[in-house]
Amino acid sequence: MNMLPPKIPKAGIFYCCFICCSFLLSTKVFSQNTTIKGFADVLTSYDKKASFGFDEQDLFITSQLNDRFSFLGESVFKYEKSSPSNFNVSIERIIVKYNYYGNHNIILGKVHTPINYWNDMYHHGRVFYPTIERPLLFDAEIIPLHTTGVNFQGHDLGNLKFGYDFMVGNGLGSSPVADNDKYKSITAAVHIKPVDNMRIGASFYNDVVSKGATVEGKIINWKVNQQLITGSFAYFGKKFELLAESTTALNHTDTTGTKQTFASYVYTGYKLTQKIIPYIRYDDLHYQDGEILFKKDNTTALVVGLRYQINYLAVVKLEYQHTKQELEGKDDKLTLQVAIGF
Amino acid sequence: MLFIQVLLCMFFIFLSMNARSQTEMLTVISNDKGAPAELKLSDLKSILLGEKQRWRNGNKISIALMKTSTPAGTYTCKRIYDMSSDELKKFWLALVFEGKADAPQFFNTTSELENFVAENPGAIGITDQPPASADTHIVLIDGKKML
Repeated sequence: MNMLPPKIPKAGIFYCCFICCSFLLSTKVFSQNTTIKGFADVLTSYDKKASFGFDEQDLFITSQLNDRFSFLGESVFKYEKSSPSNFNVSIERIIVKYNYYGNHNIILGKVHTPINYWNDMYHHGRVFYPTIERPLLFDAEIIPLHTTGVNFQGHDLGNLKFGYDFMVGNGLGSSPVADNDKYKSITAAVHIKPVDNMRIGASFYNDVVSKGATVEGKIINWKVNQQLITGSFAYFGKKFELLAESTTALNHTDTTGTKQTFASYVYTGYKLTQKIIPYIRYDDLHYQDGEILFKKDNTTALVVGLRYQINYLAVVKLEYQHTKQELEGKDDKLTLQVAIGF
Repeated sequence: MLFIQVLLCMFFIFLSMNARSQTEMLTVISNDKGAPAELKLSDLKSILLGEKQRWRNGNKISIALMKTSTPAGTYTCKRIYDMSSDELKKFWLALVFEGKADAPQFFNTTSELENFVAENPGAIGITDQPPASADTHIVLIDGKKML
């Protein structure tokens, strides 16, 4: 008796292949390990009148694409008066990272410019901020918060835990999708961590702003050569916290020559308990006469506050801020913020 | 009667010692394609703080910890990280948010942790039990099996 194998229909083979492929694909998706986290904060303040509000809702996604490639994306939803819906969505970070050797990585995309400690560490996660808002040098737009480009990064190298960032990117006046001119920004930053919880860093930033470029909504009518030199010291110990950063900006035009701006802040806090931390911050912005890239408005501010850490995902801060501005005079403000992670 | 009382006392002392050994002694286990046979305590801390991303053989380091709500997890925070459980969670959330490292995997039971370490080349875990799997080995820390 001739035993023939049963005939398998072509459709059966197709379905078997389809199921196998689906299984393999689902295995890949399962092992991809994507997580979504978020941050938000609500606050109330008193500055001649009481107000309620919130800053922004921040979503960040991390995904391990394979053993070497990873992705991090950060999107912020925030109030924008000029938007038809009164809200804007902004892409704050798009990071594709390739870990090519040990602790050395190549990063492509839009990042927070690795120019100082605050910008490199806290980003939009207000639950991490030691104070309610960022230091004044951020709002004064003295440092470029974001850069789109390529970053060569290394960290925790050797006994001093040396770290570096060397970034080439689109300069000031460009958009996240294209550069507006032939000039590229260069960021070179180094840091060491000589003891636990301490980081000492320095950075250099160089860029050329083309004549006619729009920087932070302002049209620049001169070609400006800009260099930023920053020094940072951070220590967040068991009891004592100290963060001091200073940036010197040198803006050069053919008509005004080189004008210097100094922007600094010092923050210090003391942990009375693990949950209660009183703190103080002092900000100083000083512009040289004739400055044309920045809005010249010499400012000092004193912030005194109390932080209560409910748990690692929730913190309450009560803060008094006294600000003295060259253009707008003195201002006093009391703010209560609840910042959360989810 | 006195003999029974002494026996009971010894029994309870033994029980309390056993409980102590389960919660206050830690073992470092690793996948066979991961950590070397021995590490210094300072190197272990550096690895568990996300400061080292790869082993010498190029395998990516994956960290496996007991959940901070378990006795072994609580003791890991204290003994190795010198942090509270909240501080540890905040530390890792910040590090992941900075894009500098991948978060550890946290487990409810030692068997789950050991299975993860056994199945993932490059994985290293902290547990309070010696490993049962053939795919894992104990990593001596400063020449000792227990921390």
